[in-house]
Amino acid sequence: MAIPTRASSKLHPAIAGGIIALFAALFIWLLSFSPWKIIPFALAGQAYALIIILLAFRYWPPMIRLVKSMPVPHRVVFGVLVGAMILGHYTLNNRTYFPYVAWEIFPFVNECDPVTCREFIATTESGAKVRLLVEQLFPSIVQIDPLDALDDPKLYPPGTTEHLARALAKAYNEHHAGDPVRRVDLFIMAVKLHPPASESRNRPSCELLKRYDISSGQ
Amino acid sequence: MRTSQTLRHLIGPIELLHEQAGPRLLRLTRLGIFALWIVKLLLDPLWRLAEMPREMFHPVGILALLPASALDALLTWNGLAALLVFTLGVLVLALTDKAFPVVAAIAAVLLTAYSCLIRSFGPAVHTDIVLLLAVYALAGFAWADWITLKFGGKKSLSTAWSSYTLVTIVAMLCLSYCLVGLNRTIAGGVHVFTGDTMEAWAIDASLRGYYFNTNIGWHIPEWSAVVFMLRSGLPVITLFEITAPLCLAVPHYRWIFIPVMLSFHLLSLVFMNIFFFDDMLLYLLLVDWSRRFPALRAPLRQASA
Repeated sequence: MAIPTRASSKLHPAIAGGIIALFAALFIWLLSFSPWKIIPFALAGQAYALIIILLAFRYWPPMIRLVKSMPVPHRVVFGVLVGAMILGHYTLNNRTYFPYVAWEIFPFVNECDPVTCREFIATTESGAKVRLLVEQLFPSIVQIDPLDALDDPKLYPPGTTEHLARALAKAYNEHHAGDPVRRVDLFIMAVKLHPPASESRNRPSCELLKRYDISSGQ
Repeated sequence: MRTSQTLRHLIGPIELLHEQAGPRLLRLTRLGIFALWIVKLLLDPLWRLAEMPREMFHPVGILALLPASALDALLTWNGLAALLVFTLGVLVLALTDKAFPVVAAIAAVLLTAYSCLIRSFGPAVHTDIVLLLAVYALAGFAWADWITLKFGGKKSLSTAWSSYTLVTIVAMLCLSYCLVGLNRTIAGGVHVFTGDTMEAWAIDASLRGYYFNTNIGWHIPEWSAVVFMLRSGLPVITLFEITAPLCLAVPHYRWIFIPVMLSFHLLSLVFMNIFFFDDMLLYLLLVDWSRRFPALRAPLRQASA
């Protein structure tokens, strides 16, 4: 009587792989593409890719060696630091849990054409024109919201743009007492993504939006 | 056979970065990271923020936990100058080894407050986040060393203890790139890479002008070569970002990653006024110094040798 061997009952690796892939596809469909759409693929997809990367390191002998050599407190620190970064990314929130933020740089399609931007141009007492940039006059600030966002009542109270124009003029004047700012103009600049072939300019096209008289203010 | 040999030769060795790092390399890293923060703070006239319109201040992170009266006190000339001077003092102390776990933990809290403060007038940008996380790693592992030594004695620390911090910092740097790349690819989708999105982003950043204002980027539509570079460069850079964790394991990959990403950061400065110089300096940790310089290697344990 032939005794069935253990090897003969094993699945062929290709079949096993196929079954796993099928289940994975079903799982992905159920989670992100089925009528229930529990988690959008934009999030779940990142998680799958990240899991694959983490698993690759999880089973890589030098990493196993390193983690195994770690005493428990070191493993906790390692796990918390890396884990918090991943969790922070999935909060989709850049402010509340800083520095555990959502890591997004140019994460969506920008369809603006022409690209527009507001800027403050100051006129000094001598008539010179100077661009007032928050990030240069207040170098601590890496970046502020675009100036048009300051007119959004959901984000900022009315008058914020003017207060900022005055603050910038004051900061400029502290370092240029000999030729202070007398007026600040708010312009909107525009650059076409597809300009006519012959077009070349020294400055983007500008349109005056508002004028703030600084000498009479404060 | 020959193809696989060539491929193996191209991929090169696969070994964990900083696996052999010793205490001297860790000490140099500590010095470098704290010195970089000191330079950043010395160049920052933080007290000027007192002149910014208060309505633009939307507290980020731990600052949101402070009561309004504390924020009012902080956002004065004196409050901001005090924060700057005190933080600088703690950072200078951190350059020494005196009570390092305590000093590093205080430095981590102060730098978090500082980083939150400078972002509270706008978006919580990603500049220097990894540098802040590196301070967390230095502080966290210093406490872990202390606890292990206190309760387990000297023998409880393996010879590899210096590498834990370095591997973690590099892992966090690589993870930050990887998450950025994954987010752009999966959340943004194919259209991020096919249309004129990159030009639009570049022109937008160039027009806005930040601290560095090259005033070049808005000319991009007039330069077809630059348009081509941006369009073809975005998928390439995204691929490098996603595969950044390979830096932990593949030395040959690091030698491609470093120049590619350095050029990317420099071009971001030229065309977009965006400069991640902290990340660029952290690239120094992508070099496996301890394999090159025996003085930076971990000593072999006497008992087990």
